[in-house]
Amino acid sequence: MQQAGGSETEVTWEDQQYINKFGRLNNRLHELEDEIKIAKEANENFEDASNELILTDEEVVRFLIGEVFCHVAKDEVEMRIEKMQQTTTKHLEKLDDEKESILAEMAELKKILYGKFKDSINLEED
Amino acid sequence: MGASSSPPQSSSEVVAERRGIPAASFVKDVEAYLNQLGLDVNSTLAFLQERLQQYKVVEMKLLAQQRDLQAKIPDIEKCLDVVATLQAKDSDEALLTDFEVSEGIYARARIENSNSVCLWLGANVMLEYSSEEATTLLQNNLENAKASLEVLVADLQFLRDQVTITQVTIARVYNWDVHQRRVKQASSSQDS
Repeated sequence: MQQAGGSETEVTWEDQQYINKFGRLNNRLHELEDEIKIAKEANENFEDASNELILTDEEVVRFLIGEVFCHVAKDEVEMRIEKMQQTTTKHLEKLDDEKESILAEMAELKKILYGKFKDSINLEED
Repeated sequence: MGASSSPPQSSSEVVAERRGIPAASFVKDVEAYLNQLGLDVNSTLAFLQERLQQYKVVEMKLLAQQRDLQAKIPDIEKCLDVVATLQAKDSDEALLTDFEVSEGIYARARIENSNSVCLWLGANVMLEYSSEEATTLLQNNLENAKASLEVLVADLQFLRDQVTITQVTIARVYNWDVHQRRVKQASSSQDS
């Protein structure tokens, strides 16, 4: 986000706070996009894992708990994976909701700031 | 419930500094600011640029701390997971696990039923705790780490706000200077 041009528009403390808020929201948006990507990958991994589980005919599966692989019965592994999937899906939903509300707030702020400063301000991603 | 279009914080609260980070003073009027500083435009711009660099240095430090905390939290959660698993096991047979001895090399271990675990406290110290005490200790550590992370994130937000204010001030001082030169040029070409 940079400013350009030699205009004389006054910048009030209120405007500065809007600009600050926009900056904060933009940063949070990038962090959220990274977190969403990680959560989506985790869900995909759980999917693959439970598919593999259905195909395997072994009764005992080595399941990663902490940093070691514990020998766990297949049924328990299925339950654990399902629980982890549910947790991740809920987390993903929360992240998506937050992302939407941030995008809405940023659109509002863009309207206000472009309204006052027009070409003197650049709020786009470079 | 839509996005609010009112100012984000009460304008009567202005923080002078936060945890050692000086706040950037907001400039109402560029000319008054330059007079107050008693510097010409170029010196002012240099001063503001230097402030910006200092902020960037602090930001790097805080980001590194944030990365450390963000790595620590999943570690503690993994430990809690393991302790919970050991506690939940109620059958008499031992738990078989494959653990990493070295990169790519794993060995099998039998973990007998036990009510206690050993926790690594750092500084080459490891203590034995009962499973309940271990869970309590790890929970505490987890909550402390999460609380520290929250404070750190708030610090970073404050810092980024000061960076934004400084950047806007630099742009305004520069624009004011450009405007002054144009006005001077226009009036001098009128006289000649």
